[in-house]
Amino acid sequence: MANLIEKLFSSPIFTWWNSATFGTRLYTSRKGVKVGEDKEGNIYYREKDGKRRWVIYKNGPIEASRVPAEWHGWLHYTVDTPPSEQPLPTKSWEKDHVPNLTGTAGAYVPPGSQRAGGQRAASSSDYEAWKP
Amino acid sequence: MPKLTIDGQEVEVAPGTTVLQACEEVGVEIPRFCYHERLSIAGNCRMCLVDMERSPKPIASCAMPVGEGMVIHTNTERVKKAREGVMEFLLINHPLDCPICDQGGECDLQDQAMAFGRSGNRYHENKRAVEDKYMGPLVETAMTRCIHCQRCVRFTEEVGGVEDMGALWRGEHTEITTYLDKVIESELSGNVIDLCPVGALTSKPYSFTARSWELKKTESVDVMDAVGSNIRVDARGNAVMRILPRLHEDVNEEWISDTTRFAYDGLKLRRLDTPYVKKGKSLEEAAWGDAFAAIKKKLKDVKGSEIAAVIGDLADMESMVALKDLLGGLGSKRIECRQDGTALEAGVRASYIMNTGIAGIEEADFLLLVGTNPRFEAPLVNARIRKATRKNGLKVANIGSAEDLTYKVDEFGDDATLLKKVLGGRHELSKALKAAAKPMIIVGQGALRRADGAQVLKAAHDIAEKYCVKEGWNGFNVLHTAAARVGGLDLGLTAKGGIEAIKADAEAGKLKVVFLLGADEFDTSALKDTFVVYLGTHGDEGVKNADVILPGAAYTEKSGTYVNTEGRVQRTAKAVFAPGDAREDWTILRALADVLEVKLGYNNLGELRARLVKLAPLAATLDTLVPAEWADFGAEGDVAEGGFGPAIGNFYLTNPVLRASKIMAECVEIREGNAEEATGTHG
Repeated sequence: MANLIEKLFSSPIFTWWNSATFGTRLYTSRKGVKVGEDKEGNIYYREKDGKRRWVIYKNGPIEASRVPAEWHGWLHYTVDTPPSEQPLPTKSWEKDHVPNLTGTAGAYVPPGSQRAGGQRAASSSDYEAWKP
Repeated sequence: MPKLTIDGQEVEVAPGTTVLQACEEVGVEIPRFCYHERLSIAGNCRMCLVDMERSPKPIASCAMPVGEGMVIHTNTERVKKAREGVMEFLLINHPLDCPICDQGGECDLQDQAMAFGRSGNRYHENKRAVEDKYMGPLVETAMTRCIHCQRCVRFTEEVGGVEDMGALWRGEHTEITTYLDKVIESELSGNVIDLCPVGALTSKPYSFTARSWELKKTESVDVMDAVGSNIRVDARGNAVMRILPRLHEDVNEEWISDTTRFAYDGLKLRRLDTPYVKKGKSLEEAAWGDAFAAIKKKLKDVKGSEIAAVIGDLADMESMVALKDLLGGLGSKRIECRQDGTALEAGVRASYIMNTGIAGIEEADFLLLVGTNPRFEAPLVNARIRKATRKNGLKVANIGSAEDLTYKVDEFGDDATLLKKVLGGRHELSKALKAAAKPMIIVGQGALRRADGAQVLKAAHDIAEKYCVKEGWNGFNVLHTAAARVGGLDLGLTAKGGIEAIKADAEAGKLKVVFLLGADEFDTSALKDTFVVYLGTHGDEGVKNADVILPGAAYTEKSGTYVNTEGRVQRTAKAVFAPGDAREDWTILRALADVLEVKLGYNNLGELRARLVKLAPLAATLDTLVPAEWADFGAEGDVAEGGFGPAIGNFYLTNPVLRASKIMAECVEIREGNAEEATGTHG
């Protein structure tokens, strides 16, 4: 029973954070034209005869920070040519896009935090205890 | 009394005062670098220029004695220009490296450049660079920053009494140096760091560890020797970052000894931070409850007469009172505070304090040292004696083995029987004592530690009574080496037979339990088969044969009452917390008393201090010298031939904090390597 409820609640009918909602899918199938995909597999669409641009998140939660910089530019009308047609010039020192990791295991913890293993750098308040 | 006018205010000052001092009296601040109240006048920085009417040029106020009818102006355009000019000249060669300079934030040059300097710089030439000098493990140098005020040179020569510093070359090429990279062989060398108005001389152990504005300052009292120097403990987080002197005219003026200043790294090394209980043959970590339970189990079938306690050199009076009451509750009165075995007795207070007082040395005109080496036992007392010899022509005579006290001493040999001869009245010393108006005698712990210490004390008493005790003047002085000793004697914590009897009884099996309150200065191997409870701060001598170890707080970690060698009651303040599970000593004893079902009758420090004042009424007289009543003390008898041994071993290693300190270990190594000839520091 519990399993069923869980399934029901994770379905697109009830939630919008696991995958695209029913309405979005319907709209995408009627009006959407696929423009391209990014490295994570998110798919980008534009309206058939209109201005709208949107993304359907794949392989993960619906999380705006998963959109990489090049697609972010296209999605927000900064550029009109999508990066799938004309990739942005990249430098050798550029790092791969990383989504916001807050709330995940990869989240930042300050050095010395218990979540980082409790190992901290030496400080002037340290003392050396006597051992027999 | 010459009268003069300063900025329109008329002021009358004592003859011989300088214009700068007169300005200070009316509250006019004169910038200065080379002038220092406690050093001779050099007049070489020229920062203190002021205008004097009828003088064609501005005058250096620090070097100009006041004259009748002088008219001084300190706020004229010419004075302003003169100060700006001097400051600009000083900054020609001073590097602008304040952000990386340890003096930044507490630098006289920085402050005065802001207050009296020009806003811009007109020089484009390269700055002078000077090679850094080596001055030992305590003083870091950056000689490019030096402005040649010569305060350090004057200090080491005048106060320190060693001629290790000086200036080479002249003009712009002047360099302050210790000759041939010699270490400054003074026990007060750290004070040059405070004296340096710029960042040329800074503290080596403190270098680049903290900034002055990050530190929490706590005013406290030192316990490294029995002088009770007033100090300021600067802490950041839970670490003592440095220790600086605090002004107290009657105790330490504004100097402190090197052990006081640099011992703080010992507070972080070899610390006891958790209780230990001996299980089988080895000590094992334990919880507080388990440690107390172990003591309770042992004490179950032990009589009161089988319990004793020894008080260490760094113990505060509060914990002594708590221990005394705890032992009283267990049925024992055997507490011994003289762990070095001196023949001092509680009772007559005049018999164990410096009756003249440290400041009183300056009034004396003749001083007889008996079995003491103040240079190492109490460097600040020695500095005071040196000051008196220089300023008031104090004559110093010595019976004992002390050498090289930094002033002229008439040596009379190292023989205790001389005391009887002096008492006889025919000896050269008797005549000198008789002729003096205010003669003093300082008896060291080395003299009282002999087997016939009580007889030596009696002989010293008789000499003092015959020559030194007069109307309004008591010239009998005992110089202590331990900060806790006078407090312990004030509380009457002496046992018959002293430490030797405790050791003998422990070996004979007559003692079953011994409490050590930070007692590390005697050989504890005699307590091997006794149940030893050690309450202290460091893993030192006392823990070697301990069965239960209770971690206590050091002097920077608790508010404790100490009485210095002149009988001045002073209090330390808590600057940081004790490490780990360690607690303030009296709270440990209070908790232990609960477990042992002894009622101590106090639950907080206030109540404990009320009890302390009941036991030793003088503990209520904070920072006051109460004259002690003169009475008879010591024991009649012959004084055996032979000399006096040194009271302390190595100056840098006199207590567990110092022995744990790496800085002190370095000092020992360097001083011993440098001065093979006997300096008295040989351990």
